[in-house]
Amino acid sequence: MATGESNLFRESIRTALAQRAGIPDSEATANATAATWRLVAAQLAPVIGARGLEVLFERALRTTSAAFPWLAVASGSGAALLPGVAERLACQRPAEAAEASYTLFSTFTELLMTLIGESLTTRLLAPVWASPSLSSVQESAL
Amino acid sequence: MSDKVTIRRLPTGVPGLDAILGGGLPEFSFNLIVGPPGSGKTTLAHQIMFALATKERPALFFTVLGEPPLKMLRYQQQFSFFDPQKITESIRFVNLSDEVSTGNFDEVLARIIKEVEASSPGLVFVDSFRSVMLEVRNQPQGTLSLQQFIQQLGIHLSGWQATTFLIGEYLSNSDPHPVFTVADGLLSLDQSVHRNSMVRQMQVLKMRGQATRPGMQTFRISSAGIEVFPTALVRDDTGAAQEPAGSRRTKSRVAMGVPGLDEMLGGGLPSGYSMLVAGPSGSGKTILATAFLAEGVRRSEPGVIVAFEQTPSQSRTRTIDDMVRAGQVGLINTRSLDLSIDEIVQHLVALIHRMSAKRVVIDSLSGFELAVAPTFREDFRESLFRMVAVLSGLGVTVVMTSELEDRYTDLRFSPYGSAFLTDAIIVERYIEIDSRFKRVLAVVKVRGSAHSNELREFEITDAGIIIGDPVGDYEGLLSGRATLVPPVKVVGRAKLR
Repeated sequence: MATGESNLFRESIRTALAQRAGIPDSEATANATAATWRLVAAQLAPVIGARGLEVLFERALRTTSAAFPWLAVASGSGAALLPGVAERLACQRPAEAAEASYTLFSTFTELLMTLIGESLTTRLLAPVWASPSLSSVQESAL
Repeated sequence: MSDKVTIRRLPTGVPGLDAILGGGLPEFSFNLIVGPPGSGKTTLAHQIMFALATKERPALFFTVLGEPPLKMLRYQQQFSFFDPQKITESIRFVNLSDEVSTGNFDEVLARIIKEVEASSPGLVFVDSFRSVMLEVRNQPQGTLSLQQFIQQLGIHLSGWQATTFLIGEYLSNSDPHPVFTVADGLLSLDQSVHRNSMVRQMQVLKMRGQATRPGMQTFRISSAGIEVFPTALVRDDTGAAQEPAGSRRTKSRVAMGVPGLDEMLGGGLPSGYSMLVAGPSGSGKTILATAFLAEGVRRSEPGVIVAFEQTPSQSRTRTIDDMVRAGQVGLINTRSLDLSIDEIVQHLVALIHRMSAKRVVIDSLSGFELAVAPTFREDFRESLFRMVAVLSGLGVTVVMTSELEDRYTDLRFSPYGSAFLTDAIIVERYIEIDSRFKRVLAVVKVRGSAHSNELREFEITDAGIIIGDPVGDYEGLLSGRATLVPPVKVVGRAKLR
């Protein structure tokens, strides 16, 4: 049952990212990634604190970089890593960039799930993945 | 009269807590939960929050640096009260670490106020204020001091239409923090380790407008969360409540289930009495108590046994096992060594009500004393007194066994001086006659009733206790060295009277 839910989660991450990028383009994927991360941060920072969030992001990025070595950003920490990540995504082939972006978010989500459980993670991040349009999520996050 | 404010009391959802608070948490009260690390403050706060938070009465939980929020969420969801459905729907967590890290209290306070005003919650928690204090040592000049901050927060918290909680580590007793004065309620949690037992206790130091239960109350933390075991309340012997029990006491008698014993007691044990069966190891105390329960089952008077010694499946007590399996007798069997008497009493009273029990056996007081955490042993006698009083208030008839070291130099009934607590006493002894160990028993006391004063020999057979004849013609039996009395002398003495 747990795996089923995780798979469902992965699907919604993939769908939401693709819809936000709009077209299969590296630049668009980079922008969608940055915007989606800001949504995740808006949802989670009040709950787990900005520092807690940064630590998780760094960890997810490091894990993802194992499969996508070009993603490894050396300088900065936490939110400061984001521009670097977007830059690197924009330089890749569209399919590769989309896959890396998807892997980053699903790794991050899984990491959070191992810490605070599936149901709580799903609950906290539901607004990020449920609504593919960015504006409506931003409104609900406010 | 009618225009006085009515304070609603909110049920906390923590078993036993409402009782010690004097009926629940006053709505819109400002409460402090204090205690050392690991004493269960956050767990208590969460349990109350999950119980009380609804869509109409949402909760706001501010986390300060005390515990990383990720860890808190990770561990708190192990408790069954943690309902992820309520999060975001009626419970919102707000982390203040960014504001705190600036060291500026005005900002922390402003953020709290802003969040509260934005969502007008019915419940507000700030966890914890100790970490706020530590963080702000290096605060900029001219801003709120720590004391002022806590004071301000306290005032704001009481001003909102919300029931609020400030959670913090314990501050020294000698220097009570000014916020203690502002608070409506003050709950202090503690844990004490004594030898290898750990006891958790809480105390309601203050709860405005309510009659709280005084003293330290023990509690446990299990997967279901916190459960408090309030001290048993002893009802006064005044008022109408006691009278039915009193009249019952004198009228009816309870059969003991041992042939001949009822006659020795003057027609059975008066109902509602508590009896102490004292004797050395192996003298047949448990068997007598078992017979008492079995007789109850036969007469459709359900019983309850609190067993601290043999497990029910062991040899002679086999029948207890059968009765428990058949659901005719309730069993509380425990060997954990960190109990409080109040915890046992609470379980016992609940079981008595559930079974509509008329008979209660505690086997034995010696085992009970061992099972009680060392912290409580000093008060064992006092707690025993409370327990007997509670049981007698329920109108049940109680048989307690007590191990008695065989001493032939003095005549004692119990090592706790508990003999005076009970209404009736039976003593069992070993004696030596004709180079054989024999068992004798005697009824020492039955309050307000005539009873036999004979020392009767008895045997333990597979059928139970068989009481034999009075041990005549001997004297010095209780010294362990009986000597035969020449018949003439007895006659002579009888004539003298």
